[in-house]
Amino acid sequence: MSRPQQPPDAGRLASYIPQTAGPWLSEADQVFDAGSIFDYIDGAGEVYRSYRMKLLVARRFHKDGKPDLVVDAFDMGTSADAFGVFTHDLDGADAGLGQGSTYKAGLLSFWKDRYFVSVYAEEETPETKALVLDLGRALAAAIPGEGRKPGILELVPPADLEARKIRYFHSFAILNFHRFVADADVLRFDLAEEAVLAPYAGRSGRSDLLIVAYGRGSQAELAAGSFREAFLQGSKDRAVRLENGRWTACLALDRHVAVVFDAASAAEAEARLEAVAGLMTGPRGGAVRP
Amino acid sequence: MNRKPITRRDFLKAAAAAPLAGAARPVLRGAFPAGPAGSGAGAAPAGKVRVVLVRDPSPIGAGGAPPAEVVQRLLDDGVRALVGEPDVAAAWRALIKPEDTVGIKTNVWRYIPTTAEVEQGLKRRVLEAGVAADRIAIDDRGVLRNPVFQNATALINARPMRSHHWAGVGSLIKNYIMFTPQPSAWHDDTCADLAKIWFLPQVKDKTRLNVLVMFTPLFHGIGPHHYAKEYTWEYKGLILSRDPVAADATGLRIIQAKRREFFGDDRPLQMNPHHIALADTRHHLGVSDPARIELVKIGWSEGILI
Repeated sequence: MSRPQQPPDAGRLASYIPQTAGPWLSEADQVFDAGSIFDYIDGAGEVYRSYRMKLLVARRFHKDGKPDLVVDAFDMGTSADAFGVFTHDLDGADAGLGQGSTYKAGLLSFWKDRYFVSVYAEEETPETKALVLDLGRALAAAIPGEGRKPGILELVPPADLEARKIRYFHSFAILNFHRFVADADVLRFDLAEEAVLAPYAGRSGRSDLLIVAYGRGSQAELAAGSFREAFLQGSKDRAVRLENGRWTACLALDRHVAVVFDAASAAEAEARLEAVAGLMTGPRGGAVRP
Repeated sequence: MNRKPITRRDFLKAAAAAPLAGAARPVLRGAFPAGPAGSGAGAAPAGKVRVVLVRDPSPIGAGGAPPAEVVQRLLDDGVRALVGEPDVAAAWRALIKPEDTVGIKTNVWRYIPTTAEVEQGLKRRVLEAGVAADRIAIDDRGVLRNPVFQNATALINARPMRSHHWAGVGSLIKNYIMFTPQPSAWHDDTCADLAKIWFLPQVKDKTRLNVLVMFTPLFHGIGPHHYAKEYTWEYKGLILSRDPVAADATGLRIIQAKRREFFGDDRPLQMNPHHIALADTRHHLGVSDPARIELVKIGWSEGILI
């Protein structure tokens, strides 16, 4: 289980990383927090900051005449955000590590407990690929616990869902990264706590479901109104057919806003929203506001 | 919200209304639009800004650049075409005066730097233009503390173009972010307003030349470092302009063309590189519309993409 009560500890995180990778020897660790991450990875640090990163331990492995290997181990504070930042880049094949992993072009990424780990070969060769995967396996084994995925995922209807492509995030910029919505924050992410973008692929084609959670129901209504005004041109209809012939629907559900993009029909869009509403029972339950 | 947001739906409407929008525009293909120094002949046509794309097929070395003598020739040919002056020395003197104090703003990103060949090629010509060695500096992250940059009367801005995880692309416009004490303060809205940096006193009206290095551009990124060699290619070119926005807009077209070629579809960059268009439309720093850019192409044309 996740242990968010433990404060970030660079020493503990570093202890999970092997000292060597085959004949590659490690250099001195570098440690960064959300304020100093730009000294290490430029503007891309904004992605990790948007997931509330706490700590990064970077360890480089070197062997003369061979490509360097780099381990970037992030303490994200919670397993939800470790999962979230992992979902930011899902391109690649499942490497069977941790609680979710991908490998592509010399880059292994995985999450486990509250940690997100990237292991990277500066040039992919059969030798470096094997070492990257060895490092990842050792790291994943060294992290003792496992963490829970974000609770908001329980609101995502499973039928036709491409579960491996779910994205979890907190920022409108990250939403636009995965699915461009608008050049201004029409969903009021400044008031939002978390969001999930879930892709669907059925016989009727591809569509997306977005669920955004706000602190209060009034904020969700405000956000839904803003979205309808900007994206659906103020339509009072729950589902609207757009110029590409596909349907977009929006609904405020208690303190959430659910949006279906690119459904094949109004009925399909409405059915997905109703399915979300149906999953809002128990602790997440609430009234539906059409 | 003070203005109407542009949504995905607006793009859908535009696509539905104008299916041929985005079709290739004719692009000028020039050799050396030469004219006597200072005559004005060789200037871009009225209402257009000149961008020079110069390439050479020589092999790329371990440092990420063609051989130094090739890079020097690319820089010289580019500057000659840019200012419309056939003589190399006169062309550089049109940009740099002996009394100038010159900062060459480079970029030291580990995987694709500006390269020593470009830095030294620029420095050589600045020296030959008559500037004393102690009034020339090459720097990136230390520009605010560098006395030459603090006293600079002229700047040369040189950096590679690459896809960037937050700004869409690392651009000439973005290269001046190190002239600000807190670069991350410019990250809002995925770096939308980077062009405002160019109006800060430390850089305003000082840039004489922009060199966008396109030797091995990165067209897609992965992971925390946003780099994989698989997503670079040997384009072997330089883009030169007095207008950083026009140079960036041209480089961006090449990156996007490469992405179409590689991915087989019109996949957008991971972040919207809107800071380039906004540098034109919002901040009026330069020109981003290809219709208002005179693109002069010199040298190797294979795989030119635009």
